[in-house]
Amino acid sequence: MAHPLRSAVRKSWQTLSSIKTGVVLIILVIIFSIAGTVILQRPITDPDDMQRAYSPAMLHFLDSTGLTDVFHSYWFVALLLFVSLSIIAASVQRFPNAWRYFSRPYKSPDEGFRRALPIQAQIAITDEEQGLGAAERAFRHMHLKSERIVRTDSFSLFSERNRISEMAVYIVHASLLLFFLGYFVVDAIYGWRGFMMLNPGSTSDKIEMRSGTTRTLPFSIRCDGTGEETYTDGTPKRWWSKLVVLDQQREAARKEIVVNDPLVYHGVRFYQASYGRTGKLERLLLNAVPANGNGATQEISLSEHQIVSLDPDTKVQLAEFIPDFVVQDGHVYARSNDVVNPAVHMIVTLAKENRAVNVWLPEIPGIAENASSPYKFEPKELKTEVFTGLEVSHEPGQWAVWAGVILMAIGLTFVFYVVHVRYWVVPIQDARGNHMLWVGGAANRNRDAFEHSFKRLVEQIQKEVRPTTAVGPEKPAESIPGTTVAGR
Amino acid sequence: MARAKVEQHPATGATLVVMVGLSIAFLLFIAFLNVVKSGNILNEANLLYAALVFYSGAGALYLGFGVTGTDAYIKFASLATWAGLIANTGAVAHRWYEAGHPPFASLYEMLLSFVWTLAALTLIAEKKYGVKVIGTVTMPVAIVGVVLMQLLRSDVRPLVPALQSTWLHVHVTLAMLAYAACALSFALAMMFLIQDKMKTETFLAATSIFTVGIYAAVLTRFERWGGLEVVAWDAENKSEVFISRGVRLFVTIPDLGWLMLLVFAAVAAPLVLYIVSRWAKISWGFAYATRRIPDAFRNFWYGGILQRKEYLSNTAQLWKNTNPIPENREGLAVVANRALFISILLQSLALVFFLLRVRDGHYASLDAEGLYPTSLAASPFILSALVGGIFANLLYLLLLWRREDLERLLPDSDALDRITYKTICIAFPLLTLMIAAGAYWANKAWGSYWNWDPKETWAAITWLVYAGYLHMRITRGMRGRVAAYFAVLGFAVVMFTFFGVTYLLPGLHAYA
Repeated sequence: MAHPLRSAVRKSWQTLSSIKTGVVLIILVIIFSIAGTVILQRPITDPDDMQRAYSPAMLHFLDSTGLTDVFHSYWFVALLLFVSLSIIAASVQRFPNAWRYFSRPYKSPDEGFRRALPIQAQIAITDEEQGLGAAERAFRHMHLKSERIVRTDSFSLFSERNRISEMAVYIVHASLLLFFLGYFVVDAIYGWRGFMMLNPGSTSDKIEMRSGTTRTLPFSIRCDGTGEETYTDGTPKRWWSKLVVLDQQREAARKEIVVNDPLVYHGVRFYQASYGRTGKLERLLLNAVPANGNGATQEISLSEHQIVSLDPDTKVQLAEFIPDFVVQDGHVYARSNDVVNPAVHMIVTLAKENRAVNVWLPEIPGIAENASSPYKFEPKELKTEVFTGLEVSHEPGQWAVWAGVILMAIGLTFVFYVVHVRYWVVPIQDARGNHMLWVGGAANRNRDAFEHSFKRLVEQIQKEVRPTTAVGPEKPAESIPGTTVAGR
Repeated sequence: MARAKVEQHPATGATLVVMVGLSIAFLLFIAFLNVVKSGNILNEANLLYAALVFYSGAGALYLGFGVTGTDAYIKFASLATWAGLIANTGAVAHRWYEAGHPPFASLYEMLLSFVWTLAALTLIAEKKYGVKVIGTVTMPVAIVGVVLMQLLRSDVRPLVPALQSTWLHVHVTLAMLAYAACALSFALAMMFLIQDKMKTETFLAATSIFTVGIYAAVLTRFERWGGLEVVAWDAENKSEVFISRGVRLFVTIPDLGWLMLLVFAAVAAPLVLYIVSRWAKISWGFAYATRRIPDAFRNFWYGGILQRKEYLSNTAQLWKNTNPIPENREGLAVVANRALFISILLQSLALVFFLLRVRDGHYASLDAEGLYPTSLAASPFILSALVGGIFANLLYLLLLWRREDLERLLPDSDALDRITYKTICIAFPLLTLMIAAGAYWANKAWGSYWNWDPKETWAAITWLVYAGYLHMRITRGMRGRVAAYFAVLGFAVVMFTFFGVTYLLPGLHAYA
């Protein structure tokens, strides 16, 4: 009351830490996540597809609200920040209590507690010492450690197991915070992803980033070879690339990477992402047969723009390689970069006659002058250039994420499968002055199983008590006398 | 009472035994023919066939138990399930040996493992928890699974590079286990609702909503002039036809869209009738809710547990006192049940037509010239959706006709409530580990541990829903009906993640 500001702060703190806020935040995260999977997302979807799917006004609206890139929009990150704050606030709010509970266990129950505890039983005994002794033996029988609690005016027994289970939920929440720290803080600030294309033999330190910019690495990567293996039916079986890391001009690392097995160097990871042909010629093997039939057949090998002498008078140059050609209006055009319908343009020069002949393979009518060439060419083998596509990423936050995963696995195991079990045994006197042993138990979860083991404990104590005492007069001997196992 | 004669079809014990016997004999006969034809007895197809025969027998016996309540059936049903499980295990082992990797790589292999898990869980639920009728639900699902497998490609297919990882097996095994546990929690929640005296009409509405959802999803493939779009199938290569990387070619089957639309109307009819029959109550409820929502919100936000309980009981009292309309529309509910009966017939018709039209004929496509064939293997989701719809409706009929027996045979509602919670306690850590294994694998294969791919995002949503359930249960003491609704919702999300995302949302998870 005294300070309105302080009370406002306290109120918002309480709101933030309440389970209701948590549930509302979870619902909001779910709603926006659904939106992010239903609405087409920006970097992945082709801009043309976006325009086809939405009207311009709609697209403008979606873009301006960040709905086309939900998971990277500032408000989604802000929402998850709120979730983290809520988890922290809830944990801070509840932790002191839980810690007190954990560090100072409640060992000798008072009368009020004894009355209220739902799971309890009473057993008739002759005197305190005999009852407590029997209970101790029963605990030992059930592999439980018990301790005698000595107060000024009373003795009692206390036994417990798995106290750590009370802390488990904080472990789980801490692991969630580690996820957020790794993904939304470390990786969002220091992480990056990009793409790199290499031909065998080439070296590069440039990475095309998702955003379209280029990033230069402090070291460079050389590709010593790449290839594809296929199954007999043609489906790809394996893609591989031999990569070498060159740091300050010297070889720092070397690895043959395949899909599912990347190269890691200084926290930068290189993944085999794709493999293909660039549509450029690497080498063409040809047989050159003299057109007049005199002379031997020569085997020649050409790469682009290379010139080879066939005889002292004749030279051949590979002028152009078209991977997928189409003829239109007397010109040859390339339709695509896929090697599906290749054509080769060669120029045969005759020094003596001072003329050049345009030879095309295959012979394109109207353009090719193959007939006037002194040599006929028979293609033998066509080798086109291959490339390896490398996905490159730097995600320093992943260690926080993996630590979070391990922590969460441990936490969940404790939350669901490790039960904090407590037993108290207190000798009391009932209204008529008879000595009784009050036995109580509590478990923080899995109540049914606990009720079962509590019954077993009570039966065991009775067994230990019975040899020397008669059963209380008003209680039937068969059922557990005085056992009141209350419902929930 | 108000129930009409159509709804009284109690098959007597004797006819049922004869029917079950005949169907088993028939299946055995076919199995025998199959074995003789193929020569080799212990191959995968025959083992699978044996599994089908035994599962069918078990399903019939469980159903017989569900309908007549004769305890003797259950013993034989268990025996048949055991036999089916052994044959199924043989098929899994054979597959594993032949393929050289655990059977999780294709839809066919996943179904094989799924059916195995389902049968094993049925036996566990029956022996350990005493939920005897559960076979009535799970065995038909297993049968449908095995039948689907017969239609899908079963040849061992080499793994594409991205799938060659141990983490695939870890990830998928965990996913299967988690989803099976979620399915079990759903079945248990439904049983809880039966034991909790939820009105049969409410189940009618739920069934109808489910079926309407299925046909709405199928109708997303509705093409102009009444066609239905399905993926084209290349019979020679046994694969879908792709236009470009990851883009499938769709062909249009003419007129099938109209039929689906008609069936959509038919399955919506019971829902509409239900709403009409309860219209007075529903509209009153709306008016009531709009008046009370601000109150309820304020109460939710500021109220403690005690106040909330008080508030709820006050609300219930107020409902009783002020709700002016007595139940006098029983007649409409009867008509709704009949409409559901008719819709089952129409759904079967739709299934038959779908099977026939898909199996033969070549169809035109909007995206490419020429005619292309298609196959059931190209549309597993439409097929399972149609079958699933019929199955859900049949389950409702079972409930409608045999509710008293079901109530007698199921464990009491308290026990069911607790078992549901325990099942979710098992499912949740499995879901967590499944996501973690997937993330680790993605980190090795795609270059990032989290890509916000739709499948990933939906897995996270599933996780959040169950996390919500656990928080509400542990810290807010949520029990009973609300908890059961939550479990049902959780499973609906799981189903969407498993089927819906693959069918409706594109993404990186192209393999399954």
